[in-house]
Amino acid sequence: MDRWWPDGTETGSRLWQGIFAIAATGCLLGVAQNALVRYGSPKDGLTWRYTPPKLDSLEDVVSSAAAANPAAAAPGGTTPLPPDMNDPLQLGAAAVNGAANIPDVGRPIQVQISKVKALFDAKAGTIIDAREPAEYADGHIPGAVNMPYDQVVTDPERLEKFDAGGKPIIVYCGGGTCELSMNLGFALVNAGQKKVLVYTGGWPEWSTSGYPVAKGATPDGA
Amino acid sequence: MGMIPSFLLHPTARRAAQITAGLIFLAAALPKIADLAGFAGSIHNFHLESVVPMAATNILAMMIPWVELIAGLALVSGVRPRAGAVVYTLLMAVFTLGVIQALARGLSFECGCFGKAGAATIGVKKVAENLVMMAIGVVGSVERR
Repeated sequence: MDRWWPDGTETGSRLWQGIFAIAATGCLLGVAQNALVRYGSPKDGLTWRYTPPKLDSLEDVVSSAAAANPAAAAPGGTTPLPPDMNDPLQLGAAAVNGAANIPDVGRPIQVQISKVKALFDAKAGTIIDAREPAEYADGHIPGAVNMPYDQVVTDPERLEKFDAGGKPIIVYCGGGTCELSMNLGFALVNAGQKKVLVYTGGWPEWSTSGYPVAKGATPDGA
Repeated sequence: MGMIPSFLLHPTARRAAQITAGLIFLAAALPKIADLAGFAGSIHNFHLESVVPMAATNILAMMIPWVELIAGLALVSGVRPRAGAVVYTLLMAVFTLGVIQALARGLSFECGCFGKAGAATIGVKKVAENLVMMAIGVVGSVERR
């Protein structure tokens, strides 16, 4: 050995042995650590099977609100409340499909594409695109405001000052579980915004559904 | 090994590469071990459902940081450093492929590569960074002769 330090002296089966030992020890320790925190006290750690984080869906929120207030929602029950003609939100919602208002529950609510399209058609929602400006310029939902999550985390004032015009806010991003739009949804609620909806299908679903799209750096795609 | 410049085959270069790679892995492993749930979320962001069953995401989140930690310790301490370097290079290759496939599908998220604190959104820069870190692993895993 011409150096005092060992380097690259392992060859053949010794090398494979080492690789296997590192992988096996790592895996075992990882599982052991998780088991300790999972069954120890306080109970923490990961479940053995992954379950994706879930926002309440709009349907669930509306039906639980109805359950809390059965008089207003009972089928064929007592007088349904007429929409308030001075409230643009209620008008918008009524124009959508006679559906209930978007409740203000102090947390983001997940919505499906049909609801987004209905609000879009009725111009009853303020749409926010949480992706990067370049992706936004490549294509976005017409009228959507670009608010990249990465930018607003460093500038929370922008969230507080954002004027949704009394309409519900719909946040979307690149689809999947869509961490950007979830994070932005929670950030908006924390900044005091009401009625924040997260459209988790996002751009991939919208752009392949044959619905209108806009290109360019401005909401209407100039 | 004509692809690697000869000065990188020098034992000192190799040892330096091993220590650098080891420190990178230690820096990557510790925040993830401290926030397993966050890392599980990060893995999920890569949307590899078609390759890895979604239910296995949490198991991976438990194991990867510890394999990183052990490989990092092997690299830094010089106990089985070549094995550590091979594990490092292979893992780095898998991570890089993950980022590339995510980019190709137009996904956009924070990679969680070094835990949540140093969060960087994935992009071409991340791929380049990973390739450089992978090259360090290759230099560190060359057989001594």
